[in-house]
Amino acid sequence: MNLQPLYDVKERLEYAAIAGVSLLGEDFRLQRAAEALKPLAAASPVFGKIDAGLTKLLAAPPEQRSGLLLDVLALVDAVAYTQAGAGFEGELEPLPVGGGVYHQISYGQISPLLTALTTTGGGRMEIVKSAWENHPEFFEDYRVLPAVIVGLGDGYGEMGELCATLLKELGPSVIPALKQGFDPAGNKEMARRVEVIAALDGKAATPWLREILPEAKKDVRSAVITALGGDGENTSLLLDLAKSERGKNRETALEALAKQDGDEVSAFWERELGKNSQAVAFLRPTRADWASDLVARGLWDRVEAAVEQGGQIGKETHADVSAWLASAKGKSSPSMLDFWRWADAETEAIGKLQNHTGQPLRLGAQLAELLLDSLCTAGPGPLCELCLELWGKHKDEARWLPHAVVASLLTRSASEVYDQFSPYVPVVKPLLGGAQKQALHNAVLEGLGRLAWKEDTGACLINGVWPTAQPLDKRWIKRLTHAVWKTTGKNGSGSAYAYWEPIEEYDLTLIRLSDPSDEETRALLVPYLRERMAENGQPYSYSHYLFRFGGSPRGVLGKAMARNSKSNRLGVLWRLMNDAAQVLPPEETAMLLEEVLSSGGINKEALPTAQKTIPWTIEQLRAGKPFPDWDDWIALR
Amino acid sequence: MELTEQAILLQAPNPAAAENGRKLSKKGSFSAHRRTEDGTLYWCECAGSGKNPYRVSIDFTNADAPTCRCSCPSRQFPCKHALGLMFEILGNAPFEVAEIPQDIADKRAKQAARTAKKEAAAEEGGGPAKPKKPNTAAQKKKLAKQLEGLDMAEKMVDELLTSGLGTLAGSSAQTFDKLAKDLGSCYLTGPQTAFTRIALTVRTVQKDPAQADAAYAEALRLLVALRSTIKKGRVFLEGKLEAGDYSAEDSALFEALGGVWKLEDLKAIGSVKENVKLVQLSFDVSFDEAKKEYVERGWWLDIDSGDIWQTLNLRPVKALKYVKGDDSRFGVLEVPALYIYPGEGDRRVRWDSASTRPLTAEEQAALPALAQPDLAAATKLVKGKIKNTLAPKFLAVLVPIGQVGTVGETGIGSGSASAAYVLEDAQGGRILLRNRPEDGADHACTARLGMLPRAIPAGSALFGLMFYDGRDKTLCLHPYSVVTPDEIIRLQY
Repeated sequence: MNLQPLYDVKERLEYAAIAGVSLLGEDFRLQRAAEALKPLAAASPVFGKIDAGLTKLLAAPPEQRSGLLLDVLALVDAVAYTQAGAGFEGELEPLPVGGGVYHQISYGQISPLLTALTTTGGGRMEIVKSAWENHPEFFEDYRVLPAVIVGLGDGYGEMGELCATLLKELGPSVIPALKQGFDPAGNKEMARRVEVIAALDGKAATPWLREILPEAKKDVRSAVITALGGDGENTSLLLDLAKSERGKNRETALEALAKQDGDEVSAFWERELGKNSQAVAFLRPTRADWASDLVARGLWDRVEAAVEQGGQIGKETHADVSAWLASAKGKSSPSMLDFWRWADAETEAIGKLQNHTGQPLRLGAQLAELLLDSLCTAGPGPLCELCLELWGKHKDEARWLPHAVVASLLTRSASEVYDQFSPYVPVVKPLLGGAQKQALHNAVLEGLGRLAWKEDTGACLINGVWPTAQPLDKRWIKRLTHAVWKTTGKNGSGSAYAYWEPIEEYDLTLIRLSDPSDEETRALLVPYLRERMAENGQPYSYSHYLFRFGGSPRGVLGKAMARNSKSNRLGVLWRLMNDAAQVLPPEETAMLLEEVLSSGGINKEALPTAQKTIPWTIEQLRAGKPFPDWDDWIALR
Repeated sequence: MELTEQAILLQAPNPAAAENGRKLSKKGSFSAHRRTEDGTLYWCECAGSGKNPYRVSIDFTNADAPTCRCSCPSRQFPCKHALGLMFEILGNAPFEVAEIPQDIADKRAKQAARTAKKEAAAEEGGGPAKPKKPNTAAQKKKLAKQLEGLDMAEKMVDELLTSGLGTLAGSSAQTFDKLAKDLGSCYLTGPQTAFTRIALTVRTVQKDPAQADAAYAEALRLLVALRSTIKKGRVFLEGKLEAGDYSAEDSALFEALGGVWKLEDLKAIGSVKENVKLVQLSFDVSFDEAKKEYVERGWWLDIDSGDIWQTLNLRPVKALKYVKGDDSRFGVLEVPALYIYPGEGDRRVRWDSASTRPLTAEEQAALPALAQPDLAAATKLVKGKIKNTLAPKFLAVLVPIGQVGTVGETGIGSGSASAAYVLEDAQGGRILLRNRPEDGADHACTARLGMLPRAIPAGSALFGLMFYDGRDKTLCLHPYSVVTPDEIIRLQY
């Protein structure tokens, strides 16, 4: 049966309802549709009923039309439902199998995670991280994985980064889902998909990357070019892209080419650097010998030209040299080592160079700092030997001493390093040559300043990356706590606990390289830090250092506070004492509070409140109650 | 009840409380772990912000409704400490066997006495409390007011259609909203909600004109149902008024007009089924913009009769923290008394107590056999139900799978959306599998069929909502779960 007349009637009735039944009498299309239905009405009683309803509707006075229209529409709808077809023509292809993972997870388990991944607002990162920690398997579930992929394009960049990290953790099984619905002309989400696929698939991603490259636009194109740089087989393509791309994408192609190897690449860069000296910045991350050789040669030429010219160096030349210097960091090819030897030989001439205003250029100091940075970046290797070689030539000078300390820490035994360099840190004031000896002392401290104790690895690391050849000799701690000079030649910096307290770099260095869990170290550090607190004031920073090493500032805190009473406001006081209460026994905290109150070092404005809150807090602590909240202190105002 | 993470979440007042409990457990806040020999009581101490730790215990005397006790001042129940203790038990923390503390023993005894009293009262009365004797004068007044409201609703429908649905915008929409609110004062919350839905639907057209066809069709469907409710409701109410019968009646009209069923009323009309075993096929949550409430919907299969029921947990936004959320359930729910709402099709059910146990392999294997015999029978059933103007335009069905696959030039996984998912039964009947547009993007789960972890074994069934799609005038199926002889794979939750 041809039901089109029925559908036409339905459509016209709906139009009439939208336009208003007051216009029904003028709706000739409805009348025509009603006419067309009449043959069906003759064939079936239900269509007859519809026809009768339509006739009544078209003849009805305006006030009855709306009810009649809905009645007819109800009937038409009912017939439309009962006459509805079902089915779908065409060859049925079986479903793919194993495309996703299903876990029996409840709505309550995944709904907070899905909300965090797909909405906006604060606290989302915490939810996602916590879910990952407790149930990493949730993330591979086919209801969650698409949301994690959508999260790659989250407006909050850190969330996008987190999703990328999690997808990489999930492994190559997520690649099909990442490729599903991929749009090469898409947004940030698509760009991050490329990044994740490339990280997971490695070189195997190359065919797919090459396939999508022609369609890729904006961020996605840039991501594809970056990813192509991960496969050495793409060198020719990247060389072509370096010719054809413009703007940001060309820069990306250059970044990718910097990771490639081979004569063709080296020749390209030689030409590129010849045309554009600033392109050397792209070679910063690469450690390959060809890049190191190119940078060494370019740098050597530039510094040599400056030395030959002598006197004042123009602004542009200085900027150019600085760009090349920055790219030399971490590079250690034989040519680079030769450059350093040449620079050492030319120290005097380099030292004479001036900037465009006639002031010393300090290029020599810049080079020395660069070599130290370079050594700390590269770790054990040829630069260590070079630094020891340079220091060997100038043992009486401080210039290469920090380098020698770091190089020795990376390659020699702990006792050897201590025996070699500890004499530069005297514990008895020398009678002669104080200034010269202090410069050497500072140089050793500069080297040691590159070390920091890392609790998670349980070792001292250089630049947070390279472990020392052996654990640091503990004699260093004793020597440093007893050293004559508490200097490093650098100015102190604001403390993490109180920005108004500039802490000596020497103390920061000592604290950084000390293991807070080592009893011997704690026994040395606690009296030392108390002494320093008494010398320097700075109660907030040193108290916290003492807490870290299991000590208490009792006995010195009051005096230190009295030296700068203006800083001792109620808020900072509460914070310090609250922190003390977390690590010290209640009675110790109570006694500290007594000391603070009797010190006379409390800010004048805060004093009246402190006189109420401190005795009350002491009572609370002695009654076995927890340290009060800040709100409790405020309430006593 | 087996203690699982899902069971803990079901106990929690909200997901955040459960998460906080988990954190307490993870950071080692619990100490002095103890349990009774029979494992029905666990207790320990939990460090809080105060000097003294909180004393927290969980009594599993009634395993399906454990009693949580804690000395903390939290008003959340169970508190994070009790939930944390559950995580301690789940994580197999070492609990030392000990004698039950006297204070808990006393509380247990009191609770046992209360339960016994309640059971004795239930035995006497047989289930929920008897319906209270109605205040006939008030009921009569209410019916008269409802009839008055129906006249007003009819007038509103007339005016709306006279001027045309397309005119429902701006100030006229506000007036319409106000009139709809007046219906609430006439105890006609059903028609009131229908008017709000119509207004919301028409506003969709103003926001997104591309949706006009679908939105107007939906608004008209609502108007047709409303017209029917008004007509049938008037007859229903006049009949009751005339007969002087003011009690609830086994009719869907009672709810359509805005009535709220209580368990005792359902029992009074005999709409109760005993000793039912249910398995949840799917769970989902949606937001009802018109009523400003979250609707947590569970679809259940009666494993003896094959009936499909739905549970609806309604959580108004204004009372979100007072109404506990529902969640997906796995395993078999044994319900002593299942209260069934009047109506046709997907009837709503409730219960006041139930116990959970794992689904046996035999029970699981038997589930697909509870499907409709074939697609033809399923479509006939659906057509018969949805043609009723008061019924929703979909029906939950379990249909047998001959084969599920795609029809279209591209396969799944290539990123193309051009392939159509189709179910074919053993007789060669087919139905298009498609998301129901009214359910929204968060219910779009058809494409997950293309990501199933395993091939669908022979003898499986597909659960979903069969609906009429006006776009191509066909019946389609929105799939929600694949029921195989070995497992239920949920496409939603």
